[in-house]
Amino acid sequence: MGKKAAVVFVIVMAITHLIKAQIYIANACEITFFSPTSIEDIAAKNTVTKPLLNVQTGDFQMKIPMISFIFDKPLMQEHFNENFVETEKFPYCFFKGKINEKIDVTKDGQYEVTSTGVLTIHGIDKERTITGTLTIKNAEITLSSKFNILFADHNIKIPALYSGIFPSDTEVKFTATLLPYKKN
Amino acid sequence: MTSIKKIITISIFCFIGSALFSQNDMLNLLDSIGEKKTHNKTIATFKGSKIINAQTIEPVKKRTMDFNITHRFGNIGEASNGGGHTLYGLDNVADVRIGFDFGITDNITLGVGRSSQNELIDGFVKYRFLSQTTDNHIPFSIALYSDMSYNPQTSSQFYRGAIETSKRTELQRVSYATQLIIARKFGWRFSMELIPSYQHRNFVVGVINPDNGAEETNGIFSMGVGGRIKITQRFSIIGDYFYSFSNYRNNNSENPFFAPLALGFEIDTGGHIFHLMFTNSAGIIENNYIPHTTDDWLKGGFKFGFNISRVFNLGSKKRR
Repeated sequence: MGKKAAVVFVIVMAITHLIKAQIYIANACEITFFSPTSIEDIAAKNTVTKPLLNVQTGDFQMKIPMISFIFDKPLMQEHFNENFVETEKFPYCFFKGKINEKIDVTKDGQYEVTSTGVLTIHGIDKERTITGTLTIKNAEITLSSKFNILFADHNIKIPALYSGIFPSDTEVKFTATLLPYKKN
Repeated sequence: MTSIKKIITISIFCFIGSALFSQNDMLNLLDSIGEKKTHNKTIATFKGSKIINAQTIEPVKKRTMDFNITHRFGNIGEASNGGGHTLYGLDNVADVRIGFDFGITDNITLGVGRSSQNELIDGFVKYRFLSQTTDNHIPFSIALYSDMSYNPQTSSQFYRGAIETSKRTELQRVSYATQLIIARKFGWRFSMELIPSYQHRNFVVGVINPDNGAEETNGIFSMGVGGRIKITQRFSIIGDYFYSFSNYRNNNSENPFFAPLALGFEIDTGGHIFHLMFTNSAGIIENNYIPHTTDDWLKGGFKFGFNISRVFNLGSKKRR
């Protein structure tokens, strides 16, 4: 009995210790994109994504539910999901990458960082290196970044009727506050 | 001895396992922490508020207005007053309706419209009280649709065929149609709906079907079916059909009746939705096309027609 308990104890310790120490999860995250056009601005906001960061290895991943991009104009939101990113076929967009710089959570400050990885939108993978800032304050990590996505990179088709009116890319802004992941 | 070995091997496995876990796909963690499962509503089961004749499950979205023009030309076939002399029906107008639908909430729509045929003025409410979810937690969407129409024609037109001495009241000019719309989106390509309907016309001329002795009734039960097959993201084939459970309408040789059947195409340009279709029904609203379709597809009694729908945003206040 005693030995069994010891085994279980070691296992539990191993798992919780490792996860606790390495992985940070967002408690707040905001992803927006914006494209101006001559008729109306195309803009949406997603606040439900939970990016994950492994501070030891630098692994940085997120899974963004496309249905949770909220637009001001409901019809625009429907067209976005139905005609452009085809949410039913591709419900999530992913980023799976690494933050290239070493992260030391014990040192407060603001750091310029780059993250290299694969961005998957509309089922199409694209290797990207994205620059941003990483701020550490009291063991809380804030990540923020601004970058562009070309629709053509992800096979998002613009109808011929709108060529010339519709932009070919969109500006994405990303901010997330991450805290150490705690097992419930 | 063995138990110590066990502990060591297990803890090694455990460390390796958790190390792999944390390096390969951290996203599994999102599942393991039991993220709150949300049942996302299926979007765009249909594009506009109509398939062709039938109402779709879709309400107009909150704080938007759908302006729609529905047009039916005359019969195409020569045997049904069409043919070359009317440019295959294009010289004639069977019915035109101009309508405004307002999104009160994301699930409740109020609409008004006026049709040229019988000068019908109608108002309706559509309430979607159940929405299909993408994870099939709820497999169907269900809406209640209720339309009331008023016929302002002159007495001689409205009471055509009725006995002169019959009692006449203003309320007789009112008709009601109530439908349950049960719809499902089967993947992005195919959507379908069933529409059990009941309608009541306050006044009908008391005629009898000479072939089976059945009398015309104020109330009629009918069953509609409609669907859409998407060919591309913006181009679809659409169709709908209504069968009426009415003995008077069954094999009536004196006043032949045919079930309304419509087939067409849907083109979505982003701002507008266009329907181009052929249908044997002349009327546009439920109170008209379900009980009053008298043209036969097989005798060329079908018309070219179109629906145009344009959605406007009302107010610039942020949603939610």
